[in-house]
Amino acid sequence: MNRLSLTLSRGVARVTEAALGPYQSAVIRIGFAGTWMLFLLREFPHRQELYGPTGPWGWNLAKELTADNHAFTALLWSDGRLWFECCYALAILASAALLLGWRTRTASVLFMVGVLSLQNRSVFIGDGGDNVLHLMAIYLVFTRCGQVWSLDARRAAHGAAARARGERVPADRTGPLLWAVSGLALGAATLTGRFDNGWLIPALLWTAWAGLGLWWAVGRRAAWEQPRILLDVIANILHNGALAVIMAEACLIYATAGWYKVQGSRWQDGTAVYYPLHLDYFSPWPALADLMSSSGTILMLVAYGTVMVQVAFPFTLFNRRVKNVLLALMMVEHAVIAVVLGLPFFSLAMITADAVFLPTSFLRRLGDLAARARGRLARRVGRTVPAQRSPEESPTDRVGFTA
Amino acid sequence: MDAYDEDPRGPQGPDGSAGTRLPEEPPAPPPPPGPTAAPATEAAPAPEAAPAPEAAPAPRTGVAALSPRYQVGAALALAVVAVAACVHLLMVFLSLAPANTVTKQHGKAIEEWVYPEFEQNWKLFAPNPLQQNIAVQVRAEVRMRDGGLRTTGWTDLSAQDGAAIDGNLAPSHTQQNLLRRAWDFFSATHGTDNRPVGLRGSLSEQYLRRIVVMRLYQDDPTSREGVIQRVQIRSSTTNVQPPPWSRERVSDKPVYRLLPWWSLSSDEAAGGVR
Repeated sequence: MNRLSLTLSRGVARVTEAALGPYQSAVIRIGFAGTWMLFLLREFPHRQELYGPTGPWGWNLAKELTADNHAFTALLWSDGRLWFECCYALAILASAALLLGWRTRTASVLFMVGVLSLQNRSVFIGDGGDNVLHLMAIYLVFTRCGQVWSLDARRAAHGAAARARGERVPADRTGPLLWAVSGLALGAATLTGRFDNGWLIPALLWTAWAGLGLWWAVGRRAAWEQPRILLDVIANILHNGALAVIMAEACLIYATAGWYKVQGSRWQDGTAVYYPLHLDYFSPWPALADLMSSSGTILMLVAYGTVMVQVAFPFTLFNRRVKNVLLALMMVEHAVIAVVLGLPFFSLAMITADAVFLPTSFLRRLGDLAARARGRLARRVGRTVPAQRSPEESPTDRVGFTA
Repeated sequence: MDAYDEDPRGPQGPDGSAGTRLPEEPPAPPPPPGPTAAPATEAAPAPEAAPAPEAAPAPRTGVAALSPRYQVGAALALAVVAVAACVHLLMVFLSLAPANTVTKQHGKAIEEWVYPEFEQNWKLFAPNPLQQNIAVQVRAEVRMRDGGLRTTGWTDLSAQDGAAIDGNLAPSHTQQNLLRRAWDFFSATHGTDNRPVGLRGSLSEQYLRRIVVMRLYQDDPTSREGVIQRVQIRSSTTNVQPPPWSRERVSDKPVYRLLPWWSLSSDEAAGGVR
């Protein structure tokens, strides 16, 4: 009994005193925001056709459907072309801000608004990748995903260093301004009845706004240390809860995909992989597909391997080594799917979801590599006079990963 | 939370594992592998930001730093978040699971929780992958400039999509999903007699019609010269031929499903769908 209560109190201390997995939450922040941003940029020429007021899924059709299913979308607040263009541009900017970790919490809320607005506006053009992004955009709002690899973290570090040197750090102006503007926007949307279709997302937006205001207020006076710590504890609890939900969601995705495949006759006879490769909509490289399906044995191994990995994955989380092997396998499989089935954004979203399970040591090494590559790049770009080359500067370990 | 437990061989911050590092502190400097290697969070040209402030006491966090009154608040928050997360995951799980005794009893509550924002479907290639190519084809009745009516031949819109996807590293949703999923939507909301079922049935008809009209005005030479009056859509379903090394045989003849002629709204006829 004593031991049980000790474990319990240790657990409580652990989930309240820190937002766990800072690197994991940062990598999924960067991954999901980056995927959505790349998608929006890729579809920029097609944005009217997909989400515009005069597109095939016209404004009136979308209005009728959302009146029925109560999905949240700001795009239907006006049928004007300008409103649509502004929303699309804001969605791109919000994903860029989240990617960089600029005012991360606000950016994550705006990112969610962007994702939901566009996807709920045209529900019938998405695929699995959009589905993953939709869910994760909501979950990310609850996380403290800007603790590392973010402009926020850099600003905090600069501030702390300046304070340690005894310098005065000027008061933050951007935050309160951003907060005031979002408050005005929320107020306007509420008063004009734009939030009347479904309560969940509006409530979430107002709560996030109130929380940010409260957090700013309690940080201003030393006498309010206790409320500040309480808010910090609540933020940690929310973060840890959301991270657990994100991980469970990833497991649910694999479990559903795996367990339903077990029942399929094509997965049982080993030819399942052959068929998607030969669907006109999923075969950008027919020659490659033919090559991959030339051997029945290989197809069967891939089919059985896929099902086994998907079904097994949630259970391997209890063993770090096996989990990491499976993780690598699934990431490689999704990278192959990106090219062979022509689903790059779906694959990027899934690889990002997988990345929440990557070990911290690996992520830190990745971060170090990225920082070094960035430093080298900055030196090369900012070089007006021939600068001295540092000894470790070699082009071999460059990675295309910037945070 | 064991899923990403720390690698014991990995570099550890001075505060123990990185996973429990306090967010308020500047990032712990890892053992420097090189003279200029800065932690990822630091600006590259700001090495002076790296050392942790020695003088400042670490800010107190966690429930232990709270007075009993505030601890009640923290405990309440923990309970609420824990319950909400568990209920949410349970609801999502039940929405994904096959129909069972629980979902039969509480289906309404599950639906209300999950829809619309947490709706999900991960059965793209399960239980079996799609084994047929379903092509959507269209023909139109066009009023020409000289006043005559002309009926176009069948245009295979899915074949156009397929050609656009070939050799494409990043196919657009307009090529890969728009028509394909519109047809899925249509067939899911229509009986075999092609009658619409409910609100979604009629929405799906308008959607499909607007897509084909937009596409005809984009690409069909006859339609571009006149004004489309009516369109007719058919689907052509062809089995994917089994692998050459398999002894299976399936028909390679397409099966057609012909929909009735649909008249256009004046906006659609005027090319208002873009």
